[in-house]
Amino acid sequence: MGNHEETERLSRQRLLKIAAAGGAGLLTTRLGTAQAALDALAAESGRLKVLDWPGYGNDGGQSMFASYVKKYPHNKPQFTVMANESDALAKFHAGLKPDLFRPYVGWVKYFATSGLVQPWDPKLISNFKHLNPFMVKAGQYKGKQYGIPADWGFDAILYRSDKVTPKARSWGLIFDDRYKGKIAWFDDLNMLTVAGLYLGFPRPWRQSDSELRKAQQFLIKKKKNVRLIWSSETDLWQAFGSGELWIAYAWPNDWVQMKKKKLKVVYMRPREKPVAWVGMFMVLKGSPRRRLAHAYVDAWSSTRSAKWLEDNYGYGHANVLARPSSSDLLKALQLTNTRAVTEPAAHLDRDIPRRAQYARMWEEVKASG
Amino acid sequence: MAVAEAGTAAAPPRRRRRRLSLATPSLLGVPLAWLGVFFLAPIAIVAAYSFDVYSLYPGTHGFTTAAWHDFLHSPVYLRLFWKSVQMSLIVSAVVVALAYPLAYYLALSGTKRKYVLLLLLIAPFLTSYLLRVLAWKVILGNQGVINSFLFWTGMRSPDHPISQLLYSRFAVMLVLGYVWLPFVALPIFVSLESMDRRLLEAASDLGASRLWAFFRVTLPLSLPGVVAAFLFVFIPTLGEFVTPSLVGGASGYMYGNQIVDLFGTGFPDWETGSVLALFLLGVVAALTVVFSRFLRSGQAAVG
Repeated sequence: MGNHEETERLSRQRLLKIAAAGGAGLLTTRLGTAQAALDALAAESGRLKVLDWPGYGNDGGQSMFASYVKKYPHNKPQFTVMANESDALAKFHAGLKPDLFRPYVGWVKYFATSGLVQPWDPKLISNFKHLNPFMVKAGQYKGKQYGIPADWGFDAILYRSDKVTPKARSWGLIFDDRYKGKIAWFDDLNMLTVAGLYLGFPRPWRQSDSELRKAQQFLIKKKKNVRLIWSSETDLWQAFGSGELWIAYAWPNDWVQMKKKKLKVVYMRPREKPVAWVGMFMVLKGSPRRRLAHAYVDAWSSTRSAKWLEDNYGYGHANVLARPSSSDLLKALQLTNTRAVTEPAAHLDRDIPRRAQYARMWEEVKASG
Repeated sequence: MAVAEAGTAAAPPRRRRRRLSLATPSLLGVPLAWLGVFFLAPIAIVAAYSFDVYSLYPGTHGFTTAAWHDFLHSPVYLRLFWKSVQMSLIVSAVVVALAYPLAYYLALSGTKRKYVLLLLLIAPFLTSYLLRVLAWKVILGNQGVINSFLFWTGMRSPDHPISQLLYSRFAVMLVLGYVWLPFVALPIFVSLESMDRRLLEAASDLGASRLWAFFRVTLPLSLPGVVAAFLFVFIPTLGEFVTPSLVGGASGYMYGNQIVDLFGTGFPDWETGSVLALFLLGVVAALTVVFSRFLRSGQAAVG
């Protein structure tokens, strides 16, 4: 009995020792990993080089990365502006080497397969768990997280309800002959996709040659109705606000801005469905500041930054905890629906395998007439 | 001694000749190098892009005339070019017609304040080009100066403003005309001012009326200035892209906008963009040659 008790005590002691050793080991491993991360972070030096859209750097977007600047005052971000993804692509090939940039979801596959970017390590982004799972998945390619979702919104139709009577809840409104000279299109090859949606093509992002030709001819025929093909929201707001335009291919924030101007406006979700887009941060292959890039994206992904973006820029943010102050925006973005950017609510923008062909045909539409 | 003297006497001209022969290339060297590096080399690079023998983008590249073939067989680009030519011709002709009387008054009226007036003419250049173009948006918009005036006078109701003032071809031509007017007035002014006034007196002595003297003496003598002024407007407006992108809307889109967009938006298509740019350069160069020959023959005829 005594031996048994001793054996039992010993085994307990041993167990405790093993547990203690294991715990210490685990702690050491964890501490070791954390230390390694800190060491790696400390080893990264210089300013973080960010390639981003206008308005997201030190020209108004400081609140999005304020916590990063506070934490890493010696590695403040240094911005270069990108006009669009193809501009970013041209800059990379011309020798620009940023640490990270932010293309939109339709380009994830393109960049993931281009050899220009590397996957993120979500474990290094503490706010990653708050990001919309559907959007997170949209940032993956072959199981790897190439894009960290950030801002999002829709392409749909904005119109003046006191001037316009739509025949149907349809994309057809931006082609309506009754409103010649009062319509605005968006300067993007997505116009061919939208034409494809309206014309009922089964795969508007992968149109056949004959479908593309039909979509292009349709746009050329309807271009006579178009007053402005906008590429800057400011131009759209100015023209729409002054009454030059009554109908526009627009984003949710444009509706909010026009409401602020006391215009009677409706943001219509067409029956063919709006097209949704999500901004995706990507880290460049060979970036010498990979961990700092993670820290920067972590700051962008915080609930505080997300709410600021929604309140000030009128876009949605992938952080599901963020809610804008404006109930109008909440409604326009359908923020309570975590699958607002996908079926059955919308078509999520996607890779266009023949992007160059689409782009050429869209340029021809603009050149026509 | 005599030989030595003769030698020293002969030396200076030889040295002068050597100095002269060295001076010419060294003086021309810098501008030629500048032209070579910043004009000819970029054109060569753009030409290489157009034939796909050089590209910033990875992938398979090799000599091809596909972009040239597509351009020459695409009615879209050539029609756009023709549209831009028409717009530029209208702007140039109207602006020259408007600037001529202005330059004539400044050069020949004998006013003592002509240089002050000339300064006033070019005063808009003291503000930025972009600001001057943007100001027209305020003037031409639905709620702009012109429409507001029409509402105020009751000539139009606020529900029916003149909408085609902004975001139209008219807007582009109007703003381009405004921007280039001083450029046009200057060369005409210079050619009129350098004219020998005794020729007008002689014409008068020989019984020519003032109008006849103008058509037979003043106008032919000022033609080089007029042609130069015309080219001053026509060449830059043909490739213009800032003004149409600000006030042109969908219908005021010009050839220059297409070049910019092919390089910058959608998906890079530098091959086609380069073809369009080289075609424009070729047309402008050819026009310059034709006009300069015309100028020379015109001067010879007058002389």
